[in-house]
Amino acid sequence: MTSFSVKEPTTAPSTNIARRNFLKATSIGTGGLMISIALPGCATLKNGGLTQANGEEQWNSNAWLRIDSDNSIHFVLDRVEMGQGTYTGMTSLLAEELEADPEKIEVSFAGVDSIYRNTIYGIQITGGSTSVASSWQIVREAGAATRMMLIKAAANTWGIKDSECIAENGAVINKSNGHKQLNQQISFGQLAAIAATYSVPSDIPLKDKADFKVIGKYNKRLDAIKKATGTADYGIDTDLPGMKYAVFSRAGRWDSQIKNFDASNIENMPGIEQVFAINKPNAIGIAIVAKSYWQARKAQQVLQVEFHESELNNVDDASIFAQYKKDLAEDSGKNVRSEGDIEEALTNAEHTISAEFEMPFLAHSTLEPQNCSAWAKPDGLEIWAPTQSPDMAQVAAAKATDYSLSDIKVNTTFIGGGFGRRINQDFVAEAAAISEISQQPIKLIWSREEDTQRDWYRPSSYHKLSASIDKAGNVSGWNHQMAGSGVFNYFVGDAAPAQYPFAPKFMFGLLESAGKMGEGIIAPADGSIFEGAEALPYDFDNINVDYKKSDSGILVGNWRSVGYSHNGFIVETFIEQLARAEQVKSLDKDSYQFRYDLLNKHPRAQAVLKLAAEKAQWGNPLTGCTQGISIHKSFGTWVAEVADVLIENNQIKVKRIVCVVDCGQVVNPDVVVAQMEGGIIFALTAALYGEITIKEGIPQQTNFHDYQLLRMNEAPQIDVHIIESDEKPTGVGEPGVPPLASAVANAITAKTGQYFYKLPLKLE
Amino acid sequence: MIKLTVNGIEHSLDVEADTPLLWVVRDFLDLKGSKFGCGAGLCGACTMHLNGSPIRTCITPISAVAGQAITTIEGIGNPTSLSSVQQAWIEHNVPQCGYCQSGQIMSATALLANNSKPSDQDIDNAMSGNICRCGTYPRIKAAIHSVANNQATKNSELFTNIMEAK
Repeated sequence: MTSFSVKEPTTAPSTNIARRNFLKATSIGTGGLMISIALPGCATLKNGGLTQANGEEQWNSNAWLRIDSDNSIHFVLDRVEMGQGTYTGMTSLLAEELEADPEKIEVSFAGVDSIYRNTIYGIQITGGSTSVASSWQIVREAGAATRMMLIKAAANTWGIKDSECIAENGAVINKSNGHKQLNQQISFGQLAAIAATYSVPSDIPLKDKADFKVIGKYNKRLDAIKKATGTADYGIDTDLPGMKYAVFSRAGRWDSQIKNFDASNIENMPGIEQVFAINKPNAIGIAIVAKSYWQARKAQQVLQVEFHESELNNVDDASIFAQYKKDLAEDSGKNVRSEGDIEEALTNAEHTISAEFEMPFLAHSTLEPQNCSAWAKPDGLEIWAPTQSPDMAQVAAAKATDYSLSDIKVNTTFIGGGFGRRINQDFVAEAAAISEISQQPIKLIWSREEDTQRDWYRPSSYHKLSASIDKAGNVSGWNHQMAGSGVFNYFVGDAAPAQYPFAPKFMFGLLESAGKMGEGIIAPADGSIFEGAEALPYDFDNINVDYKKSDSGILVGNWRSVGYSHNGFIVETFIEQLARAEQVKSLDKDSYQFRYDLLNKHPRAQAVLKLAAEKAQWGNPLTGCTQGISIHKSFGTWVAEVADVLIENNQIKVKRIVCVVDCGQVVNPDVVVAQMEGGIIFALTAALYGEITIKEGIPQQTNFHDYQLLRMNEAPQIDVHIIESDEKPTGVGEPGVPPLASAVANAITAKTGQYFYKLPLKLE
Repeated sequence: MIKLTVNGIEHSLDVEADTPLLWVVRDFLDLKGSKFGCGAGLCGACTMHLNGSPIRTCITPISAVAGQAITTIEGIGNPTSLSSVQQAWIEHNVPQCGYCQSGQIMSATALLANNSKPSDQDIDNAMSGNICRCGTYPRIKAAIHSVANNQATKNSELFTNIMEAK
């Protein structure tokens, strides 16, 4: 879910030598086989975990396939499951080529067992909707290579050729005609020790799509039983021997320093063990450590603490948008797309249509509040965290304590919603610092109010668009200029040192500065404001897109679909305005046809849009409704959505969303459907309610009464259709989000003629 | 000491009277299936049954339920013995992140115990206090309907069997 993961997924080098380096076979103690796998990182400052060691390229393993002599198959992943189905998707890929039942493969998260610890760290973030997309090739190759080694072990045992064996359902079967052991089988577990003595084959052919048994067919979620019985362990469920509970009082303005605090009236409250201040670059506040969570929370309510004023004291929404406008007016910033001559198109235009958009800050509101458990011991610091980036968590903990990176171990857990929030590691830093000072294992739990008010919000942004219309009534030019904070500077401080684990801590600041300077050079450009705008798919002769970085000072981060989340709205509502403009001669084209004809360079987009219109019976809305249509590409995936919307008692009621998605080959169809449904509801929450406002530098919303989330009674009917495809798989966790708000807005425009330039949607 | 029956087992607890039931169950009885989401009765992640009715335990002081019978998600079923609602949740692939689902299942179980054939409107009314940030609402609705339909099928089969036996 990070902004710089937009590019095509990293794919495996094509040479056999490089490919062998992706996979490494080793034997393990009890007669088992372990294949170490190097999956391409999805959001790395360098190239997918590739490091230079002694002048040679070397891949660092970050996933492990283990077959034990008792026939158990373990797949250990270092990326985390936060609801998006990574767990299921990756296992399906592996099971397909290994010839094993996906339900028999046990999946766990790395870091728990020291045999999985990396010696060289690349940075891994679960995000960017790329887990399956980036691992599509390599995980299948790992499964296939392992199967080939097991077959070779069986063939050698029987004294027959490899080609006379087949693998099926966790065993190798003898298919040598006339052989006395014809049709006998040996289980993978019995073969593992022999296979572990072979090297990984260099030529690893993969199955044809027609032979798939699991991919595109298997539809179960492997974690559903745990999650339906309350037995999945999230971060907040961590329990350590002798563990105490901590809460942490922070300033309303994130950059404020502590002025003073008075713990005298809480020190004698029941269960209170320690009260102390922490003043670290990434953890500033007063910690209360108690025997129970409730004791700590109750004491916090009467704690007296004062913070200094800060530079944010005079910052509110009005000042932030005034700054964006001023900065953009003074300097249009970086040109991120230029085709034709926009100046000329606008100068020679018969008509010009312009609009300004203001997009709000948005909170993530993961239902599991931020939390982290930490245990500081003399010889090391151990962390248990629901984090999307264990490597960055380690850096954050190092910054907040005296421990060095090599003394910090991070364990990941199930995650109660990520959506990009858990890429920023403030909760880890706090827990680490508290445990270090407290000298005991602690669990830090944020309240909902703390979680809402100290988020790394989807950045607010300001956009100015103009379209030129020529004498013939055609749209001749599109100019989109925008300003807002990028998210890059707000996480590079943890991300850059994670790239260089052997660098001493005094180097962290230098690495952060280098990381900031390297944005767009050694690291991909920060697209968190402009992505989706620069990739405008419509076929105009003159296109210009500019981005001016303008930092509001408010904490910002990656939010499900990042820059696409606002640009999907802006582009698709402005296109709607053009489609409806009387100055545009569109030969009676409706909103659908106007888009379709302008997408002539994108046949996949046209197919998606066409099917969405068909499935929604475009032109025949549900009773009392009007329809709106929208299409947007993000993370390599095209999604079109048609909304049927009813206006009742001056309220917006979304009755149905028809969604069509083209994400290439589908690994797990039901996970794709579920991700579209979830993305649509997530986006509808933002479209109808989402807005964090700032007053005197302090975010104003606190809990679900003033930061509302969509509920069951407001959820529309959702119909998802997947385009059949042979293309490479692309992301599904985020692409359902961007087209939704514009589809709903366009449906309202069809009814009332009102255009929307701000979110959330408010009727006139 | 406060007495409390949880999932049929009686406990005597030495906790402050205003401690919310949620934290007593999670941290003193070590039943961690019920979740903390908002601390204000707004999201339903902490839902348990008090004498069969769903309550928000993050705002229910332990003193208010002293001596009464509480059921948590652990008392509804477990991985080797799933309730019909849990079974339906798995068949419909309902959970995504899964964090809210204990509370959702507690609310749905209580609804179905009182209304064996809920309409969409009944489901909206009973379930709108439970937030799912991942947006699994369509599947929750489908799963609840399927439990009701399976129950109806079983009842009619039972009825047919009884009639045939006669």
